Amino acid sequence: MRRLKQAWELARDFREGVEDPVEHAYKVLEAISRWEGVVNAYISLESPDLVVEEAERVARGIRAGERVGKLAGLLVSVKDNICTSFLPTTAGSRMLDPYIPPFNATVVERLLGEDAIIIGKTNLDEFAMGSTTELSAFDPTRNPWDPERVPGGSSGGSAASLAYGGSDLSLGSDTGGSARLPAAYTATVGLKPTYGLVSRYGLIPYGNSLEQISPMARSVRDVALLLDVIGGWDPLDATSLRVDKPRTFTASKADPRRVTVCVVKELAEGADEVIERAYWRILKRLESEGVELREEELPIASKALPAYYTIAFAEASSNLARYDGVFYPMKGGGSSWEEDVELARMKGFGREVKKRILMGVYALSEGYRDEYYVAATKIRRVLRDEVLRITRNCIIASQASPILPPRLGERLDDPLKLYAMDVYTVIANLAGVPALVQPIEFHNGLPVGIQWMGKPLGEEELVPLGLLVEELTGLAGVVVG
Amino acid sequence: MKVTIGLEIHVQMSEAGSKLFCDCKANYRGFDVNTNVCPVCLGLPGALPVVSRRSVELALATALAFKCEIPKFIVFTRKHYFYPDLPKNYQISMFERAGGVPICRNGVISFLDPSTWEWKTCRIRRINIEEDPGRTVYEEGGITGSPYALVDYNRSGVPLLEIVTEPDIRTPRDARLLVEHLLLMLEYLGVANPRLEGVFRVDANISVNGGERVEVKNIGSTLDVEKALNYEILRQTKIREAGGLIERETRHWDAMRGVTRPLRHKEYEEEYLYFPDPDLPPIAITGEMLEKAMGMAAKADLRALLEELPKLNVSPEHAWSLLTTRPSLELFRKTVSLGGDPQLTARILAVDYKGELREQGKDPYDPSNWPPPETVLELVKLTISGVYTYDTIKGLVIPALASNPRARLETILPERASDIDVAVEEVLREEVKAVRDYLQGKTQALNYLVGRVIRKIGRKAVDPRVIREALEKRIKSAMGAGG
Repeated sequence: MRRLKQAWELARDFREGVEDPVEHAYKVLEAISRWEGVVNAYISLESPDLVVEEAERVARGIRAGERVGKLAGLLVSVKDNICTSFLPTTAGSRMLDPYIPPFNATVVERLLGEDAIIIGKTNLDEFAMGSTTELSAFDPTRNPWDPERVPGGSSGGSAASLAYGGSDLSLGSDTGGSARLPAAYTATVGLKPTYGLVSRYGLIPYGNSLEQISPMARSVRDVALLLDVIGGWDPLDATSLRVDKPRTFTASKADPRRVTVCVVKELAEGADEVIERAYWRILKRLESEGVELREEELPIASKALPAYYTIAFAEASSNLARYDGVFYPMKGGGSSWEEDVELARMKGFGREVKKRILMGVYALSEGYRDEYYVAATKIRRVLRDEVLRITRNCIIASQASPILPPRLGERLDDPLKLYAMDVYTVIANLAGVPALVQPIEFHNGLPVGIQWMGKPLGEEELVPLGLLVEELTGLAGVVVG
Repeated sequence: MKVTIGLEIHVQMSEAGSKLFCDCKANYRGFDVNTNVCPVCLGLPGALPVVSRRSVELALATALAFKCEIPKFIVFTRKHYFYPDLPKNYQISMFERAGGVPICRNGVISFLDPSTWEWKTCRIRRINIEEDPGRTVYEEGGITGSPYALVDYNRSGVPLLEIVTEPDIRTPRDARLLVEHLLLMLEYLGVANPRLEGVFRVDANISVNGGERVEVKNIGSTLDVEKALNYEILRQTKIREAGGLIERETRHWDAMRGVTRPLRHKEYEEEYLYFPDPDLPPIAITGEMLEKAMGMAAKADLRALLEELPKLNVSPEHAWSLLTTRPSLELFRKTVSLGGDPQLTARILAVDYKGELREQGKDPYDPSNWPPPETVLELVKLTISGVYTYDTIKGLVIPALASNPRARLETILPERASDIDVAVEEVLREEVKAVRDYLQGKTQALNYLVGRVIRKIGRKAVDPRVIREALEKRIKSAMGAGG
């Protein structure tokens, strides 16, 4: 285990001429060439020459005394379901291999506007449907902390690229825990923002009503830095909130005596013993610092997982209808249009995607819609109200994952076990509230994380708490090696 | 025979400016193939729809014009079906169930039968806002035989209103009148230009004598609405007379051959997997929006417009003609407000000018084919003051004006009285014998003199009565002066 300078410190040092962006770029490129063969965090990488050129441009600008952006010289990896017009965007699917969108996602525009260097597109479960990054059409991503294990998913590529030092910051996406579960499995930090705080324009949709593009990094302040850049109203996304840009980067560490943390029974129990012990250790530690712990209940939590999967699959079945072999690279090659569509979808989609489409169509069908889709939306409403009630007065402390990172293949055979990995994370997506996952300790060399859930637009409270926890754990900026 | 007809009318909001969910143009006509497109209307992954405010305003005004129940908020739903011209393979539409909320429920349309001046009504079940798909073009062999299809997405995402009536219509003619009236209202609302190619399509449900209802799809003109329904009545009556049974089915109107044809039977129920579009939060209908829409709806109250004209002594026929040709109504109003006599103005515009435009093959709906109100006012004045007879205005001035509406009136008016006076003077000097004959009581001598004056002026464009008057006056005054 090593500690790297945090990205915000790097950016500051670039600006002050203490660090050289070009030298830094070479270091990151070196890490990539050392680790990528094993880890497979990236689906496509920017050419090293271009990365160095960009770093040189930043360095020149700084030397010439030009004003540079907040992310100038930082190497940012972007999950491959976020549209870039300069690199292929596959969503981890053969269906889109190779697809180069004619536009950039809003978040990508905002990164470029702050002089970030986009170093590559990271691996993911196909169309973000998975919790392990094993279900990519471009081979699984492995966990840098233990290559026999998965990095979590679906933003496993983003998390892994951070964990081995192959990027400074990363954009993931989070539909039911897809940024937070990988954070927990790789000792990185993932923040699922309040629904609508970050524009979804350019995010290839899986579950539109649930997902947010999510900043990922090796420290809480880095995540805050990235959130401030990508957040804020976007007229291109009708679900984006008309709020000012978030200002979390400048937040200071929380005063423990002014923090109340709620232990929600249903979100504290049910995890493996080692995880539960780690959870209580950090909570007790916080309590000894002066944090008030309170108990809460959320009985409807037991229905969250089925409600989440019903809604996500229904939306997915609709979103994925467009891939019919007409616009996109995978062609059917049939003798009629109908056959063309069938063949393109048969060849282009993986097993898990097909399964989710089928279940989604079922949930929306006449005669079943009320029993499944509508029922799920009702559970969602009740759950949201409950979560809003609890988070009005406290930050919820929750497990991030019920288990340590599983071995490759271990969960794949049993879909229910696979889906159960998301049991603690889906609640924030159903309720639309922000949730932060950060590392708290290592167990036998494997990271253990914790999750904090706040009220809508409560990022400005989650970040200070995260900074406090980070100070106690000393796990900011850790990478393998 | 009891006929029951209900209609489903799709009208593009061609005047909405932009497409329903992006900035591409609502009126896609005249664009090169696939150039009025963007990531949103091509349905590219990651592109997101954002509802155009203008489309909602226009739809709301339409809903108010039909006296609909307006919901507190509207919700768009996704309607799924696979089709090559539907880029997302779902259409963003509205649905009254599964969480969707249409912009209008339970409205009513009143439409005029201009041959009896009777107003009829039909209930409107609901109005949806939805997006138009692209356009599929099949090369040789048509839809079944063509080895490939080409798709033009210029139309994809154009805002549509889907207006569904209750089965309150009793005759094919009423169905046509209803559609015509509805299109006229949409024109006055500023929603659609009814004369654009492909701007509306009608599907008609018809049941004869309590038989099963048959749906006729793809009717593209108002005349075809009547034709297709008449054909169906005939077809269904014949089947029943022969002892057959009418099956519930969907048929296709073949406008070229003037027949309806069966569409292939579907082996399964239609399954559209409706659910609220998660990319589009519900849109609240605010008091401000309603107020604005009410102002727009008031302009499309054709009944009020039609009742206002007879108060000015305009005949119902003229009023209806003015109303159905919107530029002429506006010109009428402006001319009258400048002081023109309403009755005469209406006659000039509604009958003779409009007729002349038709004669010359010019579009009466194009405002640029109509003269400015000052010109019309001048025509009215010239007629009333007797400088010209109405026959002259109609026979000579209107045709010239219709071929060049921006012409200065002086350049197309026939000889004025002063020009005639010079000719009269000359003729009286030259034709001493004829004058003497006239003075001796040979009245036909005057006709001869009139002819001489006309020849002298050398243009046919003079009203002989004006010349006759001028001659008589001049001879009388000469007599008086000479003693």
